Amino acid sequence: MLAEKFEPIIVELPVRQIYSRLGYVNNKTWLSDKQQKQINDYIAQAEALIELKGLAMVLDIKQINQSKISFSNELMVKSNSLAKLLLNSSQALFMGATSGQAITQAISKNSENHGDMTQAVVFDAVASEMTDAALDWLVNYYNNTMRRQNKTLTKRRFSAGYGDFGIENQKLIFDVLNMKQLGVEITDSFLLVPEKSVTAIAGIGQIIA
Amino acid sequence: MKILNKSKKTNDRDIKKLIKRKLLILDGATGTQLQKLGMPQGVCPEIWAMENPQFIQAVHKNYAASGADIVYTCTFGANQIKLEQYGEPDVYKVNKTLADLARKAVPENVLVAGDIGPTGKFVAPFGPLEFEEAVNIFKQQIKGLLAGGVDLFVIETMMDIQEARAALLAARELSDKFTIVTMTYENDARTLNGTDPVSALITLQSLGADAVGSNCSCGPKQMLEIIKAMKPYAKVPLVAKPNAGMPQLIDGQTVFSMQAKEFAGFAAKFSANGVSFLGGCCGTTPEHIQALKTRIIKNKIKPTACSRKSISAVSSARSHLLLDLGKSFSIVGECINPTGKKSLQEELRAGKMSLVRGLAKQQQAQAAKMLDVNAGVVGIDEKKTLSQMINLLSVNSELPLVIDSSTVEVIENALRLYPGRALINSISAEQHKLDKLLPIAAKYGAMFILLPLNDREVPEKFTRRKQIALEIFKQAQKYGFTKEDVVIDGLCMTISSHPGAGIETMKTIEWAAKVFKANSICGLSNISFGMPRRLRINSTFMAILRKKGMSMVISNPLHETEKYNKQAENVLLAKDKHAAKYIKYCQDIELKLKGLPPKLKTSESLSPEKKVANAILEGNKEEIKDLAKAAVAAGIKPEDLVRKIMIPAINQVGDLFDKKQFFLPQLIASAQTMKTGFEYLEPLLKKGQAETAKKNIIILATVKGDIHDIGKNIVALLLKNHGFSVIDLGKDVSSEKIIEQIKKHKNPIVGLSALMTTTMVNMKQVIDLAKEQGLDCRFILGGAVITRAYADSLGAAYAGDGVEAVRVAKSLSK
Repeated sequence: MLAEKFEPIIVELPVRQIYSRLGYVNNKTWLSDKQQKQINDYIAQAEALIELKGLAMVLDIKQINQSKISFSNELMVKSNSLAKLLLNSSQALFMGATSGQAITQAISKNSENHGDMTQAVVFDAVASEMTDAALDWLVNYYNNTMRRQNKTLTKRRFSAGYGDFGIENQKLIFDVLNMKQLGVEITDSFLLVPEKSVTAIAGIGQIIA
Repeated sequence: MKILNKSKKTNDRDIKKLIKRKLLILDGATGTQLQKLGMPQGVCPEIWAMENPQFIQAVHKNYAASGADIVYTCTFGANQIKLEQYGEPDVYKVNKTLADLARKAVPENVLVAGDIGPTGKFVAPFGPLEFEEAVNIFKQQIKGLLAGGVDLFVIETMMDIQEARAALLAARELSDKFTIVTMTYENDARTLNGTDPVSALITLQSLGADAVGSNCSCGPKQMLEIIKAMKPYAKVPLVAKPNAGMPQLIDGQTVFSMQAKEFAGFAAKFSANGVSFLGGCCGTTPEHIQALKTRIIKNKIKPTACSRKSISAVSSARSHLLLDLGKSFSIVGECINPTGKKSLQEELRAGKMSLVRGLAKQQQAQAAKMLDVNAGVVGIDEKKTLSQMINLLSVNSELPLVIDSSTVEVIENALRLYPGRALINSISAEQHKLDKLLPIAAKYGAMFILLPLNDREVPEKFTRRKQIALEIFKQAQKYGFTKEDVVIDGLCMTISSHPGAGIETMKTIEWAAKVFKANSICGLSNISFGMPRRLRINSTFMAILRKKGMSMVISNPLHETEKYNKQAENVLLAKDKHAAKYIKYCQDIELKLKGLPPKLKTSESLSPEKKVANAILEGNKEEIKDLAKAAVAAGIKPEDLVRKIMIPAINQVGDLFDKKQFFLPQLIASAQTMKTGFEYLEPLLKKGQAETAKKNIIILATVKGDIHDIGKNIVALLLKNHGFSVIDLGKDVSSEKIIEQIKKHKNPIVGLSALMTTTMVNMKQVIDLAKEQGLDCRFILGGAVITRAYADSLGAAYAGDGVEAVRVAKSLSK
């Protein structure tokens, strides 16, 4: 079974979240018009460099035995917290998304010695928030599609590195989805490259009629 | 013949008549009803229904008996893509059979709607399915539904406006039956791809949908807000088919909890807001539909007719622009046009689009409300390139597009692909354009710029322009166009060759706005061609035309505007013969400017050192060097400037950041300004002072396995600001390399960064190695996953952010 590919993923620019990620506090942080314009320009430039795309695959859950979860493709994951999330689910959605190479390159270039570090931190925040928004988009897409089958996704999703769901599980999700087809690689320490790439798992359960 | 008879009984006109008399009730959820009757999980509902006709017919009968005026065929997923997933290749047969079953299940007075759902694939440019392929997939399904005798079509649960367009075009190209289109919206009242209800309405009603609305995704309360948003702009009846509330988690199970009575309580509000078709989606049952029927009869709820006959508005996939005559003024950005732009031509010839993307963003940032898109230049395949541009811009820009071409086929192709309601630039009285473009514009529901010229002349005088404009409009009316659908072009010629051109355009615009009462536009920059200081003339001309009632302008929003200018006005009003006075005036300005000193951008009242401090506080990297230079020239010693002005200023920035009065971009901008200023002053400092300022060495590294280094780079920048000599080893640095560097320096501070739990263990390895080898150094740890407790456990200091890192480094270096 192949993962479903979504390209492009279009999300609303999460401006409030970007400002918040950068430490902006309403009614507290003081920002001149000139500074705000500069930051908004950087946000617009970052948005132009980001090309969101994603992959998703629904797998049946064969069994949840305490902390062990076995899926239909013979995949086995061990995590108490993930098992708890998937307790009422008969299926799980594996998903991954990336904001692409161009934005990561622009962040690296600008965060080096002679670059524009202000631009780099704003770009970094935009890419992080938009990549996260791409996963929200995938969750919403599957919720819309599955509602007709009386199914719904868990409100939370889990990424490798949360709780006892170790970072090494990133490799499992990466392989299940074959994230190479998005131009994403994984390092020996289970980090995704380009850096602004994410994976997650959510549960799919039945809506009772 | 049977189909024809059915068609006659319940044709388009009949439905339009019906909704004048009564609120038509749609059915409720089908899937859950089939499940109750035994349909197993995981099967294809359409195939199961075909194989078990008694059950699907029972569902239809139940809904009809409960009061539904219209039942949906069980063909939501009966398209080629979805049926193939279940091994069923015969799309026509499935649709015909299921339509026939529905028709036979319900009485004659109940209408059968051929249900068309999404394919599950997003349509280009929003996904992999090519637009024409999508149209053909829906045509296959529609042919089967027609053969099965449906009375109308319902295109429903659409998340992608382009897929809804493909299905609607397929229906329109095969039949004139009444067609409803309903989209599904998220919590933020936008579809998954960002289409808001008004944009969807403008796009779909102009493309020929007979009714537009929303189904699924939310309960009646939330859907009412969607309907309310659409009502003021609807020229077609509205449709609502909400879920039985929102799914809720009760006792560990997800349920739709809204009961029939509560659901029916929304009927009057829906009706008052323009809904003529009301039913239920997920979670609703025949009880919900019966409750609706009872409420409608009991409270004598009647539909409220939509008030509009037409609307002057354009849309894209994610926004719309209302062109309210006399109330709005919009700039159409003209920059995406390769004429005269070598770099854009080269890029388009190479099939690249990055400049187009950048121009779109820049124009939007400079207040453009629409984007004119043109690909007409020698050596470029205009049709293909314009399609690529439209696809790119539909994804990357929210602004509605103006399709600009002189070729009919190019415009037709663009309109077919464009996921919104476009404005055509333009339709003139040239016979081949009138004959071909008017029906094309009508088919795709586009607005058009009415250009008052014909095959024989480009009229100089307003009176002739008016005649031609009226001729074009008369032809357009035959295709159903109204004044709201056209934008009159003021036909702007250049004043350097036509001295009265300004006046004739003014008259044309004034007539269009105040007499003909339609929107008007002009291509602004033509007017000043060949003149000096063109922006001055353009800005003045725009101000005059706005007073005359012009509602739109095609111009370059990246150009600065200038103030209204009396000399320019005289040229435009033909009061300045040969523009002689204006040209002399411009020459005088040039002469004056040559003698002026450079503009001073900083307030003159501040002392030089205060300006330096302010530049650091404001993050003014561009000017710090000049300001520092000016301060030194004013007699301030470089070492005093650094010690007494710049360091206190950057400390103040740190304090403001701590108090959250500054946030990260400001901290970084100030730090970069400090760095730039210091780099300038460093060679001027006395030797000893320069060395003193940099006596403390700090080694920084992101540990092995970790590739995140932006945080570490921020720390490096801030430490440099405070006089530390930073040796930055980069990211993914082995423990051995860090140890090697420690050995090279005397008692250095070592800052280690890690973002992941898997890589933070490498910090311990470095510290353990340093201890084993008895190295004299102090460690600071930082990074997203690092805690004070973890640092304590390793005997290291901890810094939560860059400002704290400076503070800790300073205390360690004492």
